[in-house]
Amino acid sequence: MKKYSVRLTLVFSVLSLILMLFGLGWTIQNQFFSKGASEAIEEKEPVDVDEDKDGKVVVALGDSLTRGTGDDSGKGYIGYLVDELEEKSKEKITIHNFGVKGYRSNQLLDQLKQREIQRKIQSADYILITIGGNDLFQSGQTFLQMDEQKIAQAKESYMKNLEAILKEVRTMNDSAVIFHIGLYNPFIDLNDSKLTTKIVRDWNYDSNQLLDQNEKAVYVPTFDLFQLSVNDYLYTDKFHPNAEGYRLIAERVASLITW
Amino acid sequence: MINLVRNEMLKIVRKKRILIVAGIIAVLVALFTYSQYREIERRLERFGDVDWRTTLQQQIIDTQNRITSSGISDEWKSELQLRIQQQQYYLDNNVNPMEPGAPSFARVFAEHSINLFLPLMIMVVAADIVSSERSAGTVKLLLTRPVKRWRILMSKYITLILSVSTIVVLFGVLSYLISGLIFGYQGWAAPVITGFNVEGNELNTNAVQMIPQWQYLLMEFSLVWFVALIVGTITFMLSVLIRNTPAGMGVMLAALISGAILSNMVSSWEQAKYLFMINLNLTGYLSGQAPPIEGMTLGFSLVVLAVWGLAALIVSFAVFIRQDIY
Repeated sequence: MKKYSVRLTLVFSVLSLILMLFGLGWTIQNQFFSKGASEAIEEKEPVDVDEDKDGKVVVALGDSLTRGTGDDSGKGYIGYLVDELEEKSKEKITIHNFGVKGYRSNQLLDQLKQREIQRKIQSADYILITIGGNDLFQSGQTFLQMDEQKIAQAKESYMKNLEAILKEVRTMNDSAVIFHIGLYNPFIDLNDSKLTTKIVRDWNYDSNQLLDQNEKAVYVPTFDLFQLSVNDYLYTDKFHPNAEGYRLIAERVASLITW
Repeated sequence: MINLVRNEMLKIVRKKRILIVAGIIAVLVALFTYSQYREIERRLERFGDVDWRTTLQQQIIDTQNRITSSGISDEWKSELQLRIQQQQYYLDNNVNPMEPGAPSFARVFAEHSINLFLPLMIMVVAADIVSSERSAGTVKLLLTRPVKRWRILMSKYITLILSVSTIVVLFGVLSYLISGLIFGYQGWAAPVITGFNVEGNELNTNAVQMIPQWQYLLMEFSLVWFVALIVGTITFMLSVLIRNTPAGMGVMLAALISGAILSNMVSSWEQAKYLFMINLNLTGYLSGQAPPIEGMTLGFSLVVLAVWGLAALIVSFAVFIRQDIY
């Protein structure tokens, strides 16, 4: 036995050595001397929509509000919304949260070009969008400068993007209900609250009008939720909602979703 | 010479070194297989399905969110940026970067083991290959034979090469066999993308090629083997230079661990790229990770390692032939 084990180890190790040397040669050949690599990639056909889904599919798009920034538990309004829906119904709910902090409307429009995002939108029953906050507030810069012309410009391009977003989503999926969550005014407690409120209201009004032109599209106001005691519902950054604030938004959206 | 090698191999087998190494590898593979399995279960619970596209898309979104958070270093940011681009490329080409199955497990496991775990295993065999003969005094018996000293050392070195090859292949075979129990043994032909080039912060996909996984595995393990061989050679040199086996092991261990730490923080110290321990992560070039120092390429690392290995070999022979043995 002992004699064999030495011989066995020897044979195995010599074979291993040959294999590894061969591999190394191949690697060097492949990595340094092979050309025309691009031809090796063949286009695969795009994948179809998942047909065999069960339960309801919710796709959430947008910015930090969708992501849940400011909520200590990290759920955001999407998380609380799912909790509420699960209480209401026995159906299985799958959520796809594609929100990215800091997204503006043009970035969301870019995101919609990605194939995988499109695939998920195609299979969605409900589509939730929070966008526009960063277009308008620009991390608080807007209301420091109060340049009306700039605000008008921002709104114009935002409206154009939002229209394109809605159109894109519609062409991918003509049956899902789209919810667009409106803006609240996080600066309502500060100076100039009259002016800032007017700007946010105008912004919301235009978004609302645009949503009304689309079928199965709902504008969800949040302005009133934060109007009276904004500081109770804001995170310490005084911009994003806290857990309570998110719960308010979730409740409102939940009451709109029925099946 | 063959008889000398056989004699050396006999010592390795008798000391059961390779068995011990195989045992350690087997235990670790079982451990990681289980944790991976749990991770998949968790995903199933969270997303409702295990469609890899869903997972990958979610990973991209998560990374995008991490990038936008403040207090993240520029370096880390650009590395994350690269990762996003790469994952997007996988998605766009409809290729699963982690095709379920034992071959994928072996691939990822080897990728993570190349710069610390496997070198450590090699050390187990290589560290006392010469020094133990000296501390036990048996080296005198060896040298009194009518065989030239360099031949004796050569036989030891060949034995080391053979053991290194055995360990690397055993590593692959064990991780395949054990993880296959849970993940299944399929996935040899799954496509893998290689040939990403990192240029500054951009991921260059011009030279990208899609190859079947078995080919990728062969390439990857040959690189792992090369690293193991160089680490083995340097340990071999230390074994000749330092009579005390634990001391030699300590030096090597310090070098390896400092390499793992340095790789994460040397990007501003450019000369560090000539250290062998910075260059151990060869498989990173295959999978398209950002190199620890900008401008490092696979060719560069291979050359640096080869030079170190050659130098170590020359030193070992020069010292061993002239050394006084008492």
